[in-house]
Amino acid sequence: MDGFTLVVWGVRLLFLLLLYLFLARVIRVLLRDLRAAAREPAQRPGRLIVLESPAGEPAVGRSFGLDVITTLGRDVNNAIVIDDPFASAEHAVLTFRGRNWYLEDLESTNGSYVNGHPIDGVAALGYGDEVQIGQVRMRLERT
Amino acid sequence: MAAAPSLPRILGPIRPRARWQELRLLGLVAVALAMGSLSLGTTVTGRFGLYDARGLGIYLGALMVAHLAQVVAGRRTDQVLLPAVAMLGGISLLLMERLPQDLVVQRFFGSSYGLADVQLLWLVGAIGVATTLGIVVRSDSWLRRYKYTWAAAGVGLLLLTFVLGTEINGQRLTLEFGPISGQPSELLKVILVVFLAGYLSENRALLVEQDTRVGPFRLPPLPYLAPMVAMWAIALGIVVVQRDLGAALLFFGVFLALIYAATGRFSLVLIGLVLFLLGSAAMANLFEHVRTRIDVWLDPFADPLGAGYQVIQALHAFARGGLLGVGLGAGLPEVGGRPPIPEIHTDFPFAALGEELGIVGLIAILGIYLVIVQRGLRIGVAAADDFRSLLAIGLALVIGIQAFIIAAGNLKVLPLTGVTLPFISYGGSSLLANGLVTGLLLALSDRGVEPPPPPGAQSRWRGLGRRGAA
Amino acid sequence: MLGSDGSRRPLAGPTVHVAVVLSVAFALLAGAAGYWGVIRSADLAQSPDDAAVIAAARTVPRGRILDRAGTVLARNKADANGELYRVYAGPAISQVVGYASRQYGKAGLERAYDAELSGLAGDTLTDAFAKFGTNPYDPKDLTLSISYDLQKAAVSALGAHRGAIVMLDPRSGEVLALASTPTYDASKISNPATSQAAFAALQDDPAQPLLPRATLGRYVPGSVFKIVTAIAGLGSGAITPATTYKQQPGAERNGLLVSGYRVRDGHHPQTGSKPLDLVGATEVSCNIWYAQTGLRTGGADLVGYAERMGFGAALPFDLPTAASQVTGGTGAQPGGFVDDVELANASYGQAETFVTPLQMALVAATVANDGELMRPRLVTSMTSQRSGSRTIGPQSMGRVIPVSDAEAIKAAMVQAVEGPLGHLFTTGAKVVGITTAGKSGTAELGGSGEPHSWFIGFAPAENPTIAIAVLVEQAGRGGEVAAPIAGRLMTRYLKGAQ
Repeated sequence: MDGFTLVVWGVRLLFLLLLYLFLARVIRVLLRDLRAAAREPAQRPGRLIVLESPAGEPAVGRSFGLDVITTLGRDVNNAIVIDDPFASAEHAVLTFRGRNWYLEDLESTNGSYVNGHPIDGVAALGYGDEVQIGQVRMRLERT
Repeated sequence: MAAAPSLPRILGPIRPRARWQELRLLGLVAVALAMGSLSLGTTVTGRFGLYDARGLGIYLGALMVAHLAQVVAGRRTDQVLLPAVAMLGGISLLLMERLPQDLVVQRFFGSSYGLADVQLLWLVGAIGVATTLGIVVRSDSWLRRYKYTWAAAGVGLLLLTFVLGTEINGQRLTLEFGPISGQPSELLKVILVVFLAGYLSENRALLVEQDTRVGPFRLPPLPYLAPMVAMWAIALGIVVVQRDLGAALLFFGVFLALIYAATGRFSLVLIGLVLFLLGSAAMANLFEHVRTRIDVWLDPFADPLGAGYQVIQALHAFARGGLLGVGLGAGLPEVGGRPPIPEIHTDFPFAALGEELGIVGLIAILGIYLVIVQRGLRIGVAAADDFRSLLAIGLALVIGIQAFIIAAGNLKVLPLTGVTLPFISYGGSSLLANGLVTGLLLALSDRGVEPPPPPGAQSRWRGLGRRGAA
Repeated sequence: MLGSDGSRRPLAGPTVHVAVVLSVAFALLAGAAGYWGVIRSADLAQSPDDAAVIAAARTVPRGRILDRAGTVLARNKADANGELYRVYAGPAISQVVGYASRQYGKAGLERAYDAELSGLAGDTLTDAFAKFGTNPYDPKDLTLSISYDLQKAAVSALGAHRGAIVMLDPRSGEVLALASTPTYDASKISNPATSQAAFAALQDDPAQPLLPRATLGRYVPGSVFKIVTAIAGLGSGAITPATTYKQQPGAERNGLLVSGYRVRDGHHPQTGSKPLDLVGATEVSCNIWYAQTGLRTGGADLVGYAERMGFGAALPFDLPTAASQVTGGTGAQPGGFVDDVELANASYGQAETFVTPLQMALVAATVANDGELMRPRLVTSMTSQRSGSRTIGPQSMGRVIPVSDAEAIKAAMVQAVEGPLGHLFTTGAKVVGITTAGKSGTAELGGSGEPHSWFIGFAPAENPTIAIAVLVEQAGRGGEVAAPIAGRLMTRYLKGAQ
């Protein structure tokens, strides 16, 4: 048995091994995903971090835990009160439906923005997206 | 703050988003395929080197382009589907490279291309289709709204195939338009799922909640079973008219699985199975070609040089492969210059892989199919509404059930039928249709797609803030 | 998930069920792949119908077949076109080695060891590596336990008769001669120039020269089957070597009445009125003693002990074998006998009992080897340039009876050859100067045909090195035809070996 034959054999077994390595990696991703999904409903699904707030209310860096339905606006009865001159009393509502976030503008005077773009009615959000109400910018994050 | 310039809604704001998971997995795919190509090249040529570096390069390049396109598009679509499909496609490419190239010869612009070249073209096409759909499709209304139109188109396609189709091996499956030919049943399976998803999502509440009592059974309202009967009739029609047992089996299997997923009622599946068994029994009695298939399945060794030849040769291939296989390029002994199994590139790639990669390799390949199915089902369960759920579940099942039917046929677990092994069998129609399936699954996996119709009127939230939740 | 969106929740459950069903289906596929790829692997991949075997046959010189002394029994020769064909040592060996013909397929060892001869199979690990070498084929030379000299002597001893002779070493199961007559010239079949005419003539021959009678012929055994009855009787404890039946001497004259049927005897007026024991009954081949022994042993044990020696299924052998049977097995009595009459007749080999000569040689070998049966075998080693030499060692098929029982039967069989009455039934079986054991048989066929002539035996009785079974079709009494042939061949083997 010469060295070349051994090399061919090694390469061949390595190919099979790599197939399994790939499979293992993929399954690890799947399991992580499933575990995350199982965890999600038990906790609060997400939070909003204030990035920029010229009026100081809410303060920069503050974090709001989010419910399934979270209302935003200038009125004190909103879940998140945005005391900003450019915000309407009932400005927008953030909902969690299925496994997705949606920002719905409630026909506010100045509109709501996602990642700097005005939304037309409803927009889907992902973690890491930025929401702007009036002059207040906030980022949606996983808790 | 100035409003941003408004973009066309279909594209939305583009913000590149890294896809590290996909990139890592694709890297692994590239390494594995290079190793496979090395194994093949070293075995066949006797020198240490890749077998067809150009083909592999083109394929991996296409994958990289697909990845980068998705990164640039910035959608949060699934990151596992593309690598999994790419791995299967790569294995297909290796297999086609090692088969005799003259099994398929296509002429484009004066020069002729062999099996592997043509397959590479279709593979790149399929990845292109998948990626394009995954990036572009943001709305499902064009599928959702016109489901009956789609169904009609599907039936039309079926009839067209029957009337204008070209008969090959006693089966009327191929439709030819000038130089282009294709097998519509591959497209039909996607159309079927779209229609079923539309129908079931619309009538799900009725099917789940209302009962008609028939003897000891509690059945859904009978009129809503009409599509079930229609489906059954279509499946039988396919067997009779097109002589395509595989497609009929696939359609019916997907149909039953989907109806169960939608309603959770086992009684419906039971009825479907009874209808299926009755239909099969009748078919076996009435039609010679069905009976032959079943006889060959029960005992291929009864006619080892005639009807049973292919199946027996496939079993021999598995036997030669054993646990670890003989290695890429070292198996499939040629007798008289031909591979041992006729139609190896379309109907028996599973047997070929069984010989060269062994049972260990086969289990890995089956595992990759299961990953794709699991991913599709997951996308379905997480989707925002019933239509998308059922669409994703159905598309995933099409891949899974089709792979099962043909692999089982190769292994003599089921009668052999002529469906293709998704992403691996040679054939443009099959690859493009499965690319379409992958693309739709990718699009459906994006949680940021245009939201489903809001639960109520937009004004539903009005006053919520003022009333206060506390 | 949202409570208000309850209609989605139920989807998850059924979807999980669907996923589980599909996973189980895929597991089933893996199982099926395992079945074909592992359990049935050797069976399919090394069969002569396998594409790899066929492909190899066209390109690779087959391995040679040698006898135990190194005499070449099968080798390759190139025809005018440079294509290889097989040449064999002579017609005597054809029934063992068979032939390999491009037109007419393969037979014998050429078929059974096709994969090894063509270089496709052998040692698993070496073969696995061989696939990637420059030459993937590794043809193996087979060395047989056959002695070509003894084989030729056996074939010529049968002469113009149809029949079969099996000679083996009871200690190791090595088959030394496996003769069937009439035989044929395998070289004429393998040579492309003559194959068509030769094969057509052989197929039309009413004497069926292509049939290997030693392994595939099934014959009525007659009295040689009594040894099986003795093994079952002693082994099951139904009798002892001293067992006698007091009605036996009287029944010699009028026959023994079993369920209204008379078992007749009468070949031995010399024994008088004294009841016979095992040795005495075997010496004179007493049907009545053996019929009673069979009845006392019972059908279940008779069949059971026969099956321990290989009855009831194809023998584990290098060549295909026919299954020997004690009874047709259709009856409701224990063991499958129809009634006591069949059992009584079977006990001396005259009912629905059919045996192959190889099977009867194994019966003799069991007694010779003190009750332990060794697996019969032809191929003792395989040698190739690449994978070296691999020896196939002896293998036990298990102990059939205790040593003491074997000694008792051995004594009876010695008496049947050397005893004052016994040698009248087995004239010529004795190897001069060596204690010889044996049993003759005369298998009545009914009708007007001559009976089959049988002899089984072994020598030297004290420490047997050779066991033999001789069958001559329709040649008359066992003592007159088969016994002298066995004596001559054992003498040749034992004297030649000294």
